[in-house]
Amino acid sequence: MDNGNANVYKPDLMEVVSVRQQTPDVKSVALRFIDAERARSFSFSVGQFGIFSAFGYGESTFNICSSSNWKDRIEFCFRKVGRVTEALWKIEEHDIVGFRGPYGNGYPMDVWKGHDLVFLGGGIAMPPIRCAVWYALENRADYGEITIVYGARTVADLVYVDELDEWAKHERVRVVRCVDPGGETPDWKGEIGFVPHVFERAQVQSKDPVVLVIGPPIMIKNTLPILDKMGVAPASVYTSIENRMKCGIGKCGRCNVGPIYPCKDGPVLTMEQLQSLPADY
Amino acid sequence: MSDEKTRDGNMSENKGFEPKIVAYVCNWCTYLGADLAGTTRLEYPTNVRIIRLPCTGRIDFNLIVKGFEIGADAVLVSGCHPGDCHYTAGNYHARRRWILFRELLDTLGFDLRRIHFTWISAAEGKKWQQVITEITEQTRQLGPYTGLYANGSGNGSGKELPSSSHAPFEFKTLPAEGALRESCRKLLTDGTVKVVIGYGQRGPAIVTRAEDVGRLVWNNRCVSNLTTYLKRKEIKALGKPAVIVKPCDEKSLVVLEKESQLERKNIYVIGMACEGVGEPKCTFCTARTPRFADESLGEAAGPAPLTDPPPNRFAALMAMAPAERMAFWAKQFDRCVKCYACRQVCPMCYCERCIVDKNRPIAIDPAPSAKGNFAWQIARAFHLAARCVGCGECSRACPAGIDLALLNIALHKAAQVNFGYDAGVDPAAEPVVGSYALQDKEEFIR
Amino acid sequence: MSEIISQSGLRQLVADCIAAGTVVSGPTQVKPSLVLYAALSSPNELLLEGFVRPDNSIKDCVFPKQEELYGYRITGKSIELTNNVAAAPKQVVLAARPCDAAALPILDHIFNWDFKDEFYNRRRAATTVVTLACASHGENCFCTSVGLHPAAERGSDAMLFDLGDGSYEVRCITDKGRELFDVKTEKSSKVGRADAGPEKKFNPETVRAFVDGHFEDPFWGQHALTCVGCGVCAFTCPTCHCFDIVDAGPAAGNARYRTWDSCQFPMFTAHASGHNPRGGQPSRQRQRILHKFSIYPNRFGEILCTGCGNCTRNCPEGIGVLTVATEIDHG
Repeated sequence: MDNGNANVYKPDLMEVVSVRQQTPDVKSVALRFIDAERARSFSFSVGQFGIFSAFGYGESTFNICSSSNWKDRIEFCFRKVGRVTEALWKIEEHDIVGFRGPYGNGYPMDVWKGHDLVFLGGGIAMPPIRCAVWYALENRADYGEITIVYGARTVADLVYVDELDEWAKHERVRVVRCVDPGGETPDWKGEIGFVPHVFERAQVQSKDPVVLVIGPPIMIKNTLPILDKMGVAPASVYTSIENRMKCGIGKCGRCNVGPIYPCKDGPVLTMEQLQSLPADY
Repeated sequence: MSDEKTRDGNMSENKGFEPKIVAYVCNWCTYLGADLAGTTRLEYPTNVRIIRLPCTGRIDFNLIVKGFEIGADAVLVSGCHPGDCHYTAGNYHARRRWILFRELLDTLGFDLRRIHFTWISAAEGKKWQQVITEITEQTRQLGPYTGLYANGSGNGSGKELPSSSHAPFEFKTLPAEGALRESCRKLLTDGTVKVVIGYGQRGPAIVTRAEDVGRLVWNNRCVSNLTTYLKRKEIKALGKPAVIVKPCDEKSLVVLEKESQLERKNIYVIGMACEGVGEPKCTFCTARTPRFADESLGEAAGPAPLTDPPPNRFAALMAMAPAERMAFWAKQFDRCVKCYACRQVCPMCYCERCIVDKNRPIAIDPAPSAKGNFAWQIARAFHLAARCVGCGECSRACPAGIDLALLNIALHKAAQVNFGYDAGVDPAAEPVVGSYALQDKEEFIR
Repeated sequence: MSEIISQSGLRQLVADCIAAGTVVSGPTQVKPSLVLYAALSSPNELLLEGFVRPDNSIKDCVFPKQEELYGYRITGKSIELTNNVAAAPKQVVLAARPCDAAALPILDHIFNWDFKDEFYNRRRAATTVVTLACASHGENCFCTSVGLHPAAERGSDAMLFDLGDGSYEVRCITDKGRELFDVKTEKSSKVGRADAGPEKKFNPETVRAFVDGHFEDPFWGQHALTCVGCGVCAFTCPTCHCFDIVDAGPAAGNARYRTWDSCQFPMFTAHASGHNPRGGQPSRQRQRILHKFSIYPNRFGEILCTGCGNCTRNCPEGIGVLTVATEIDHG
């Protein structure tokens, strides 16, 4: 973490390996380190985030949504919504962007070993779930049944759709996808409903699962009672929070949610931790 | 040909200096005029870089300053003749804005010899050739513009303005305080208003309960302009307010109403007759009694005789040479930390999202550097042109003691001299910016 | 046995430092009623008496209002970064107040929390702080409420005591202080004393308990009513360190820099999506108190406040930590 005499604010230069448009306003990007030595020595834990930048425009915080087992690249996924993401929207293969990281804590994949995993996500919350899913599939023996319930407002807003298909082909993996009522297309074959309700209908039978739920506050709020009914303790439920960030390393004083700094104490929190936080996010 | 900037612009060292001229021109007249010059083979110096905009009415004053920031030695703004604007009145609006903006630039010490305004029509290729040739030669004589934001440290300048001697100030509670509290008690008890915005012991007092009116005070140190609170959403949420105003603050209400920021019937105005609150602004004040209040309290005994009138700082500023003025401002702005207190206390700064907080694009450099500070102060002063009522809150709030009010005074004078307009005085007067007159003055436009 | 220096000796020291290329800062008379710390261009600018404390702080010696983090050069599709952690200029601050000096060891924590901020550390190492023990205090001072006092030595490399006769006792505290005053002082039997300081005005533990236990409380709304949301409190505060990182593109010189920022600004926590966790002044006012009296002490063991009173003194509407904390404790 401590870079000695280095400039802790200076990013690594990354070359864009590929850009993929996921939805009308979401793209996913794969990057590789230009500096070979850095590429060799770089590692991260799934769940950590990076600060990605477009030179001339600024920096933005995104989860590193690729598996930590992939050594040739890191990936991030973003929605075009402001100054920096508008600039990132224009990048193409071989362009150069900046990356600072990995920052924050990651998912405690070791602690999750031996458990069934339940992933619940809404919309743009799929990328931070995706990295954990791939990691778990690559270390398949360590984890039990994997259930993924993923929904978006409309069919067009679902991201990583092809990977959802791929995951479903794996052993003991169940993928349930849904769209909000009114968001379905005539040929939609998945569920219709909000993620919490669809999850309840899915009747996941699991003893002592670990649950990762990421999405808007309302979604999380509605999911908790269902988990409670299932007998899942708040300490076994995880989430990843986000807030406006600038430095990403705990100095600029901006991202705190009450006493917790998502960039240092998070972004991964247990529900127990989240529920102890004041309404500051 | 070398165009290196030399340190002091001495002509003899400028052999080979080629000035850079930036020209902002309108698409329909001047641009075509320049084009005509080209197609009819009229030669003119290549020093000019042309930037085409749809209309001079679109030219943000900021662009003139940016031209200098990116290295121009002179800036030209040119458009259609009055009456010929492709969008009917764009150039009239521009002209009015230029009249005011030139005054601001002069106050800041910009070299006005390097800023030119012309009307050039699509048929006037010859005029374009003449104008560019003359401006280029003129600027070559003037030398490179090294004076931009120069703080004159080399020449030992950075003159200070004269300050008033510390007149002894005796704090006293004024007689109308009791009546004021009584009035407010009644207003709150009757439910006529839900909140009183008034003066308190150590700052404003926002009172919502009748039993708390004892917190309100009225003394000769009630300085701040409380009308600034009318725009705050937390105050608006409380319901109909009563606001306590001195006659100077009352002028803010006139402007706010003119700009549709408040409806007069939705606020209750308590006007206090005032004898001055110990600020320099009070010495030149002639408005001692409220004019539009729902309720007036106190009796002004008339302005106190001036035994030792404070020096006129604005006059002293304008008596300096432009380069000295710029050095003065550069030294002042060096202390600016971009706390935006000047903006937050101003009743007229009510934009939901200030231009400095916008980032697509970043129009005003947000850094507290020389360039960033000048950019902000220029934007602030000009966005308040002919809207500022001179309450002086900006200067009072500035923790770095920058004489911000001088910039507002400059534009106030410009509005008075050129348009006979005094913001906040006559509710029926047409605001200056946003309107125009066919006979707006033109001598500086070629 | 004490060491003393005359006022003229002190001014000579300033002249010597300036001549040697050191940046010397101290209180200066900016206007008749305004004293600010500023870089001195001549020894006569140093103001030693006639005021309680300057209206700004010395934090910009270690944390300037603007700092370039690095530059970038874009040529076609390729980008090159220029590393800007340059050597910091040697700096001396003279006649700082103890409440300014004590802020520096407090700030050391955040700028070295896991990641070492070399911009801060280099400036810190290159700065010698000479404090002038307070001979008086003002109505907005409250150093004694947060564990400090007019002769507190924290953060000082040397401390001066006004002897009232045109000379000062010099107490060197660190090697840097000793190096600065080496052979500049003479022996004496006179010993200086500082002012007793203001009486304690509030208990910080009460403030911490309140802000922790009353996160949603109408109290915050009441105080925020008169707050206009500027940055005066944060920017004149010796310990406030929140900053923004800006990339304004080619127009701003193709560099990324950081600037001071304030939790009171409306855009401080605004998300690009439009959501703002602290969209109203009440939550922003609360955040300042929470950060200073709860978050920072819980994490680093120190209150993020030295009781200098600048926030309350300079607030255009008279709010500030002193006003709020006093009301929490006694209101």
